[in-house]
Amino acid sequence: MQEYYLAKWLNGELSEAELAEFKNSDEYASYAKLIEVSGQLETPKFDVDKALQRLKDERIEGAPKVIALNPFKKFLRIAAVIAVLLVGSYFYVSTLDETVSTQLAERTEVVLPDNSEIFLNAESQISYSKKKWDQKRDVSLQGEAFFKVAKGKKFTVSTSQGTVAVLGTQFNVENRDNFFEVTCYEGLVSVTFNGQETKLPAGSAFVVINGQIVDTSQPKGSNPTWMNNESSFERIPLKYVIAELQRQFNVKVSTKNVNTDLIFTGSFNNTDLEMALKSISTPSQIQYKVEGDNVLFYAGNTPQ
Amino acid sequence: MDNVCEDQIFSSLFKEHSKTVFNYIFYKFGNEEKAHDAVQEAFVKLWENCAKVSPEKAKSFVYTVANNLYLNVIKAEKVRLKYADKSNDRSNESPEFLMEEKEYKEKLDKALNALPENQRTTFLLNRIDGKKYAEIAEMENVSVKAIEKRMHLALKTLREQIDGI
Repeated sequence: MQEYYLAKWLNGELSEAELAEFKNSDEYASYAKLIEVSGQLETPKFDVDKALQRLKDERIEGAPKVIALNPFKKFLRIAAVIAVLLVGSYFYVSTLDETVSTQLAERTEVVLPDNSEIFLNAESQISYSKKKWDQKRDVSLQGEAFFKVAKGKKFTVSTSQGTVAVLGTQFNVENRDNFFEVTCYEGLVSVTFNGQETKLPAGSAFVVINGQIVDTSQPKGSNPTWMNNESSFERIPLKYVIAELQRQFNVKVSTKNVNTDLIFTGSFNNTDLEMALKSISTPSQIQYKVEGDNVLFYAGNTPQ
Repeated sequence: MDNVCEDQIFSSLFKEHSKTVFNYIFYKFGNEEKAHDAVQEAFVKLWENCAKVSPEKAKSFVYTVANNLYLNVIKAEKVRLKYADKSNDRSNESPEFLMEEKEYKEKLDKALNALPENQRTTFLLNRIDGKKYAEIAEMENVSVKAIEKRMHLALKTLREQIDGI
């Protein structure tokens, strides 16, 4: 007899032989009687319709309306969250400083709320607070920029190396690694470096290299030369000239047997790399080689 | 697609399964009132979750809710079952036969109540509600094999009890 044969028997799953064997057994009559009588069993009365009515009346009356409202409630909840986020971020963003930056070989112009203008040279960044502009004209600068400041309250340019304050004028500020230069083209500029204030009249410049104030000659023209696509240098170590070349053309410059501390005076064109390289290499008496975006300056013979 | 949230679908699901839910809980605990409550609770839960439960899943959903409702909460009481009237030919039976039958039913009642809860529930769902082993297996969340075992043991135990072995 197979496993759980009683269950199988009840379900009509016994084979003929098994069924015959089971019917022959002593207990078969008892099981048959058990099945017969248990088939007459009844559970307590359960009125389906009444139970359903009770369910609807007591428990889910008006529930369909709740279901219908649910998506709207959810929508309201989401809308409320979005509204809070929007309002919050508006207040947050409006207190944030405006930031403008340029990539390598890129330039841009920024007009400030008082119509002062800033021209950003390559790889530079300025930031200022639009909201507080009326109270405080303050711009922080990384890199190099030329400022045309509208007349008004004190205008300051904050850099990591020094602060420049003016009332209304045109000037250029360059704030790069170990190099800080302010050139005044119009009006009067006040430069604070290491807590010391220097008044810079129109047509003069203030240069700090490696923390040392350097004498420099008077700038020519009424704009920084880079505004006319030319980078000019007056007694500047060659490495800063090379750094500027990299920024203007987005190239990688390496040197071999070249003393980059040599002082360079001259300028290079910012639109023609070949011409710029000649402008740097000829007065420095070095050679150059270009391979894609890589430029190598070297002294003497052809490199290996 | 059919949606349990639709009144018509919900009502037909109720009509189809509420009685079995009622019996199911009654077999387990022998308490009529709890069985009524279980039906209400199970179908309220189904209504509340009507958007998430497909009509195909509704059946096992209500059994699961009903089953979980009294898990470890109430003590099983005596399961009192009645017997269908066969009044049409009752007058023809001899008094001895009627007496014997009455005794037999009393023994069966006692034996049923002595069964472990899961064997009794399985046996009665099959005998009274005509549920197939596969359906009971789904309700009880066990294999068909387990239900066959329960059924076999239930029959064996009931007979032994009644025959006084």
